[in-house]
Amino acid sequence: MLMKTSTQTRLIQLDSVGINLGASYFGSFTLQVAPGERIAILGPSGAGKSTLLKLMSREWKPATGQVLFNGKTLSSWSLPDLSRHRAILPQASDVAFGLQTDLVIGLGRVARIHDPKLMDIVEASASLAHAAHLLGQRFDTLSGGEQARIQLARVFAQLWDAHDGLILVDEPLAALDPGLQFDLLDSMDAYATARNHALVAILHDINQAMLGFDRLLLVKDGKLVADLPCTREAVPALESLYGISLSCVTDRQGSLVITPLRTSARRRAIDGAMA
Amino acid sequence: MNALVFQLRPFLQSKRARPGYVLVGALLLFLAVAVQNGAVPVNTSDWLSAIGLGEQQVSAGGAYVLWNIRLPRAVFSVLVGAALGLAGALTQGLFRNPLADPGLLGVSAGAACAAALTIVVFSGLNLPLPISWRVWLLPAAAFGGALSVCFTLDRIARWITPGSIAGLLLTGVALNALAAAVIGLCTYLATDEQLRSLSFWTLGSLAGGNWTLVGLLTFLLLIAWWRVRYLDRAMNALALGESAAAHVGVDVSHLRSHVILLVAVLAGFSVAWCGMIGFIGLIAPHLVRVWAGADQRQVVPLSMLMGGLLLLVADTLARTIAIPAEIPVGIFTALLGSPFFLLLLRGARGRIG
Repeated sequence: MLMKTSTQTRLIQLDSVGINLGASYFGSFTLQVAPGERIAILGPSGAGKSTLLKLMSREWKPATGQVLFNGKTLSSWSLPDLSRHRAILPQASDVAFGLQTDLVIGLGRVARIHDPKLMDIVEASASLAHAAHLLGQRFDTLSGGEQARIQLARVFAQLWDAHDGLILVDEPLAALDPGLQFDLLDSMDAYATARNHALVAILHDINQAMLGFDRLLLVKDGKLVADLPCTREAVPALESLYGISLSCVTDRQGSLVITPLRTSARRRAIDGAMA
Repeated sequence: MNALVFQLRPFLQSKRARPGYVLVGALLLFLAVAVQNGAVPVNTSDWLSAIGLGEQQVSAGGAYVLWNIRLPRAVFSVLVGAALGLAGALTQGLFRNPLADPGLLGVSAGAACAAALTIVVFSGLNLPLPISWRVWLLPAAAFGGALSVCFTLDRIARWITPGSIAGLLLTGVALNALAAAVIGLCTYLATDEQLRSLSFWTLGSLAGGNWTLVGLLTFLLLIAWWRVRYLDRAMNALALGESAAAHVGVDVSHLRSHVILLVAVLAGFSVAWCGMIGFIGLIAPHLVRVWAGADQRQVVPLSMLMGGLLLLVADTLARTIAIPAEIPVGIFTALLGSPFFLLLLRGARGRIG
């Protein structure tokens, strides 16, 4: 019983994991993700956020340390088994040959040989991803935002009937308009909550991270510089992460709104501090 | 068998099966036309005696031509076309690129290169081979050439650019150039007589078709078909990209080795007995995709039918357009194929990524 609890609290576990890419070393990363957790990875461009995500997704093999997924070394999982427990939404990806959107969404479940409910799951995932009206169209005729919705639906389909899984997301919302960003964040949230999936997302928007996530992983210069809950106390760490000043306001609903100060304001703040 | 029919029934009655019916119909129709036309005229009684119902012996005149020359050749060209279409569909799926074909990987050039070396270099040595085996020497060499190019390709690409399909393609380009250089050297060193047999390999011809080869190729296609049935879903996932395919549970390197082996066997066989026949492997999957969509589960079988139909048409034209002379079919496919391909490109402009 005790064993079960310990594996349940650690869905994925990184023990001083590092990798050499070209001349630079990324790592070492040590962290744990519990089932159902929402974690946002933040950091400046090129800091190693995607590297961290690729180490967690098994796309890259760590040079040092080890990654455990459900208590088992990540590299010892078979690909079809792994695909039933973790899904990845890439930053942006094209699909060759202009496949139909239904087929693209169904490809999330390609590792299952017998999948009698495939068509129902495809439709349900599409409507959850606000993409039901796009079914039956060619993927390559869709706009960027529509393609992102189909890819999200594919990820939904992949872990539709799974529990306690892991969803890794790499800047899914970068190219979308604000309304759609919130719609899709809400869908992801509802989807993950219903199935107790953990969600690990690379984000650029500090407010999205603070609103919808439990924990922040701050990555800078290839290192994990902070691992802290999403509260007002995280603001100083965020300021030093990006090297900017942030202004915090609590809005009428009681949620925290963080605004980066522009360079002129920043300069004034620095000058004021010097004086 | 019954279970299979039962499984297939919903598909056979669905709209998706329609292009298949059209192609099978066209193929049968054209097969009859192709067998009817040629240098020796044939009539109904020849047909009857060919299938064993007439009064004449099969060995007599038109019936002989029909049964022993024209029919096997027509069936053979359909099968070779199907093999090329299948190899093309698999290559394009693997490289996620509608412009890839087995020729691009150096498979055809490798086979032709081995054949050229056999003609020019090894014919000088007196090999201790029985006469009856000599017929098989050249095809065997070409087949070996195709297979060895494929394995070299796979090894080198894994060593230099592990896991990258673009790296595999570029390695293929390099091997292609190498094979072309060796063929050039052989052409330079060849005697007049050797040049003639060399040109067979570079131009392509289906004149060697007989029932033995038909049987052999049918067997090969059935095995390939059996393997491909398990691969086409994974091939669809590959359209998402190599890493995304791995994320949904497809073992890309395993899939890659399988596809390369299949392409080597299919393209190798056709080059070994028919020389280099271009454009079929490129155009057949392309046409099918424009017509019936890009789902590999559809593209693969339809490309086989389409390839068979295209090569049958090309060979019949090559055989009959200048009776009694015969134009090499490789020239014909390229001659008809390239402008047709340009038209296709123009029609599909903006849809090709």
